[in-house]
Amino acid sequence: MRHGARKAAVAITSITTVVAMTLSGCSSDADTGTTTEPTGSTDGRITDEQRLEALTTPTNLTFWTWVPGVEDQVALFEAAYPAISVTVENVGQGLDHYSKVRTASQAGSGAPDVVQLEQQFVTSFAVTGELLDLTPYGATDLADDYVPWVWNQVVANGQVLAIPQDSGPLGNLYREDILAAAGVTEPPATWADYKTAAELVRANTDSYISNMAPGQGAGWVGLLWQAGVKPFGYDGGEGVTINVNGADAKEVVSYWQDLIQNDLVSVDADFTDEWYQGLNQGKYAGWLTAAWAPVFLSGAAADTSGLWRAAPLPQWDVNNPSSGNWGGSVNAVLKASENPIAAYELAKWINHAQEPALLFATQQNFFPTKISVLEDPVFAAQEPEFYGGQRVNEVFAGISETVDTEWEWLPFMEFAYTSFNETFGAAVAAKGDLSAGLDAWQADLEEYATQQGFTVNG
Amino acid sequence: MTAHQATIPETALSRKPSHRARRRRPANRAKRRSSFLTVVMWLCVVYFMVPLIWLFMSSTKDNSDLFTTFGLWFGPDFNLFQNIVEVFAYKDGIYLRWTLNTILYAGVSAIGATLLATMAGYAFAKYTFPGNKLLFSVTLGAIMIPLTALAIPTYLLFSSMGITNTPWSVILPSLVSPFSVFLMRVYAADAVPISLLEAGRVDGAGEFRIFWQVALRLLAPGMVTVMLFTLVATWNNYLLPLIMLNSGDLLPLTVGLAQLQATSAAGGGAQALFSTVITGAFLSIIPLIIAFLYLQRFWQTGLATGGVKG
Repeated sequence: MRHGARKAAVAITSITTVVAMTLSGCSSDADTGTTTEPTGSTDGRITDEQRLEALTTPTNLTFWTWVPGVEDQVALFEAAYPAISVTVENVGQGLDHYSKVRTASQAGSGAPDVVQLEQQFVTSFAVTGELLDLTPYGATDLADDYVPWVWNQVVANGQVLAIPQDSGPLGNLYREDILAAAGVTEPPATWADYKTAAELVRANTDSYISNMAPGQGAGWVGLLWQAGVKPFGYDGGEGVTINVNGADAKEVVSYWQDLIQNDLVSVDADFTDEWYQGLNQGKYAGWLTAAWAPVFLSGAAADTSGLWRAAPLPQWDVNNPSSGNWGGSVNAVLKASENPIAAYELAKWINHAQEPALLFATQQNFFPTKISVLEDPVFAAQEPEFYGGQRVNEVFAGISETVDTEWEWLPFMEFAYTSFNETFGAAVAAKGDLSAGLDAWQADLEEYATQQGFTVNG
Repeated sequence: MTAHQATIPETALSRKPSHRARRRRPANRAKRRSSFLTVVMWLCVVYFMVPLIWLFMSSTKDNSDLFTTFGLWFGPDFNLFQNIVEVFAYKDGIYLRWTLNTILYAGVSAIGATLLATMAGYAFAKYTFPGNKLLFSVTLGAIMIPLTALAIPTYLLFSSMGITNTPWSVILPSLVSPFSVFLMRVYAADAVPISLLEAGRVDGAGEFRIFWQVALRLLAPGMVTVMLFTLVATWNNYLLPLIMLNSGDLLPLTVGLAQLQATSAAGGGAQALFSTVITGAFLSIIPLIIAFLYLQRFWQTGLATGGVKG
C-alpha cells in the first residue's frame, strides 16, 4: 500500500505541475508584446473590391457581448448585408467574459470574431496581441465622428483597436427633496460646497449626501480623472507609467478621507442588497455616477420616481469645469477571426450607422459616443418622469464635452483593480488612511509591472 | 479485503465485538434527551432554513418591495405568480430551456457516473489484479485535486477536440467522480459477500452476469447515495458550464441565472430583473428538494455505510 501511495503521490505531483503550467500559459504573457504576426492584410489598406467580396460571400460571424437586446442591432446589420449571419453569444460579464475571451484566444479555436470590451481594458487586450489593428480597414476615417476623448480611448500608437459604443462621463445624481429638506437648494458647484452640503444633510436629515463604494475602482479612478490626475501611462512597448500616489492624487483622496472620517458620506459596497435598499429608502441623497446610471437608477429605485435630479460633478476649479469617465465599452475584432473584413464591418456598422447607433441610445439606454447621436433630438430631448422631466441626457452631453482627453490606462487593468480592492479599497472600507492606501496600491502595481517584464517610469 | 463479510449494514453492526459494545454509553443515557444537542440542532435548522425562507419570501415580492420591505416576511403585495409568469416569459421562455438543459446534464451525468463508479468500485473491492492498489491510490489522490484546477486544462483539451460549446463538454467531465468510486469500493467490500460471488461462479455464471444480476441488487443503496451526490454536484455546477459553454441555448440554470443577475447590475443597459432572478433561483431548487425528500431513506443508509467503514 505504501509503495502504491508513493507512486500515486508522484503521479499527482506531475499532474499538478502540468495544471500549473497550463494555467500560467493562460495568463497574460505581457512580454510577448504586440509583435504578433499580422494577419496578412496589413500590408496596405483593404480595397473596395476586397470589402465587397467579403460582404457578399456567405459568412458566419460570432459576436460575444453582454449587451441585452443587441440582437436588434445585429438584425439590422444582417438585413443590410444579407450574406452575413451573426451569432450573438453572452458568455458572461466583466471578468468572467474577459477570462473566457483570453482562454478561447489562447486555445486557438472557439474564439469569437467580435467582442465587447470596456474602454479601460482595450490596452490590456492589445498588449497580449489579441486585438486586430483596424487601421487598414479604414477605421481612421471614423475619428471625427466620435467625441474626441472617447476616440483617444481606442487609439494606441497609431493603431485603432476598437470602435466606441458607449461611455460614462461622471455627473451627480441627487435627491432634490432630501437636499431641499436639508436646506440645500442648488446642486453643489464646487467640492467645498459639496462638503458644506454634506454637513447640512447629516445635520438635518437621516441621509448621507452620497455613498462612496470602497470596491468601485473604476468610479474612484474616474474622480481622479476629473481632478486632472494622470496616474497611468503606457508607451505601447515595455514602458509603463504608474503614479497613483502623486501629490495631486493624494489631494483628492485627503478630501474624501475628511468626509469619510467625519461620517459625512457612507462607505457601503455597491450593487448589493443593502445598497439597493439605501437608494430606495433615501439613505443616500445622491450618487456620484456615470451617464449610464440615470436609466439604471430609474429601474433599481423605481419607488423614488420624480425625486431625483442630475447635475455635473462639483468642481475643483469652477472656471475650468471638467469630468472623468466610469465605464463605457467598445467593440473590437480579435486577431483570431477568420473573416476580419466582415467582422470589422459588423463592429463598425452597428456603432456607426445612424439607425443602430441611435437604437443603442434609445433602447439599451447607452450614453452615446457618436456626436450625431448625442445631438439627435430623439436622444437629447428626452424628459424622463423619474427626474421630474429634466433633460438628463442634455446635462450629460454637456458633461461629456468637459472630460479630459489625455487619459491612459495600464496594460494590466484586471490586476490593477484586484489590487485596488486590497489596498485603497480596503482603506476606504476601514475609514482609514487613504494616502497610505494609495502608497500600498502604487507599490503593488510597480511590483507586478516589474514581474511582468515592464519598465516602470516615474 | 475478503475479511469484511457482512452482508448489510445492520448485521455488520450486530456482529461488532463485545468490547466495542461495553465502551458505548448505557442505553438509558443514550435515550435521554440532551438539551445541549437539541439547541445545537435547532441552531443548525435556523442556519440552514433562513436563506431558504428569505428566498421564498423574496420570490413573492416585486422589484421595489424587494428593497423596501423586511426580507423574512411577505411584502404588501403577493407577487409570486406574476413573478413565475415573468420568469417563464423572459426571452421567449429561455428559463424553461435552461431547466431542461440542467435536467439533461444532471440526469445523464448522475446515471452515467453512478454506473461507472459502481463498476469501478466493485472491481476494486472484489478482484485482485495487477495495479489494483496503485490505480486505487491514484483514484484517492484524484479526490484531492479540486475540479476548479482542472477546468482550464479540460477546456484546452476539449477545444482541440472541437467539443467545447456542446453538451458533451459538460457531461463528459461530470461522468468521472473519484469520490464516488471510493465510496462504492468501501460499500461493495461490505455489501457483497464473496461467498455469493463464488456460488455464482460455481453455478457457471459469467462475471458480467454475476455483476448485473447478483451484485447490483446488493449495491443499490450505495448507488442511490452516489447518484444523489453526482446529481447535486452537476445540478449546482457553475464553473464547468461557465467555461465550456457560450450559446445561451445550452446554458444550465446556474450560469443562466448568474447571467440574468449580471444583466440587472450591468450599469449601462441594465434591466431591473431582480425579482425574476430570485424567483428563478427559488424555482430551480424545488426539483432538488423533491429528489432529497423522495430518496432520503436510501441516502441515509448509504451515508451510514460509508461512515462505518470509512
